[in-house]
Amino acid sequence: MNPEPFLQLDRVIHEKGRLAIMSMLAASPELSFTELRDALAMTDGNLTTHIRALQQEGYVAVAKSYQNNRPLTTCSLTATGRKAFAEYINLLEQIVRQNKAK
Amino acid sequence: MESNWAVEHLQTIRTLMERSAMYRRALAPIMIFAGATGLVAMGLGLCLDVGSSHGFCGLWLGAAAVAVTGAFLLARRQAIKDQEPFWSPPTRRVTLALLPPLLAGFCLGLLLLIFGQGIELAVSLIWILFYGCALHAAGFFMPRGIKWFGWFFIFSSCGLFYVFMLHLVDFDVNPHELMGFFFGVLHLTYGAYLYLTERRKNAA
Repeated sequence: MNPEPFLQLDRVIHEKGRLAIMSMLAASPELSFTELRDALAMTDGNLTTHIRALQQEGYVAVAKSYQNNRPLTTCSLTATGRKAFAEYINLLEQIVRQNKAK
Repeated sequence: MESNWAVEHLQTIRTLMERSAMYRRALAPIMIFAGATGLVAMGLGLCLDVGSSHGFCGLWLGAAAVAVTGAFLLARRQAIKDQEPFWSPPTRRVTLALLPPLLAGFCLGLLLLIFGQGIELAVSLIWILFYGCALHAAGFFMPRGIKWFGWFFIFSSCGLFYVFMLHLVDFDVNPHELMGFFFGVLHLTYGAYLYLTERRKNAA
């Protein structure tokens, strides 16, 4: 088996929680912090930590605004994040194909 | 073995992406409300003997307005109950998908009724066709067979158009009954199917 694709997998995205966040955001233009938290059954602290890690890599953009006088935090994938996610999926598919071909 | 985790990862990603993109509010109450409205409109049309094009148009557009308002209120009530935003990304996507065919059907039906007389049957079929297109478009963001429901409307309207316009079968159909069947009976049936098969807890 060629270990190349596995070694190329983005370690930031590969973590379970961050992968879930990236997957949710990839299918939606933007999601609120609450929507993400409820959908992924994460704690506020856990989600904040993961989002911060993704933000530092430039994969996720966080916007803060107000809705009905209440603060609203929304997250979305950046172009870099979208590209990194697509590459991650491609590598996973490559790994699956490689193993099928064996 | 090594590919198993990759397959599982891909499956998880797919599920999460679907969950993020899909509109998952309980559809059963909305369908039943729309069906009941359709049946009431049919009853009114038949009992009051609404025969003119304008009367037909007014009655069914009124029924559509009631059904849309009811659907809006039911979806909003669910959102409040689940403490979720009503105007969520999936809701936006479903609304945007529904809008063009519904608007096109509405405008075309209206034009035909203004400039034509005695073409209520054709207008009914056009409305059924466009409604089917709208359901099919929304089906890309909704689970539970909405796309198939849309296809049924599309195929039925095309088939009936062919049969009626080419006079292949010589039988008299009241447009109110036709509308009542598609917008009343079929919605009630689909709503009942959803009620019986829907999971107890739904979220959008």
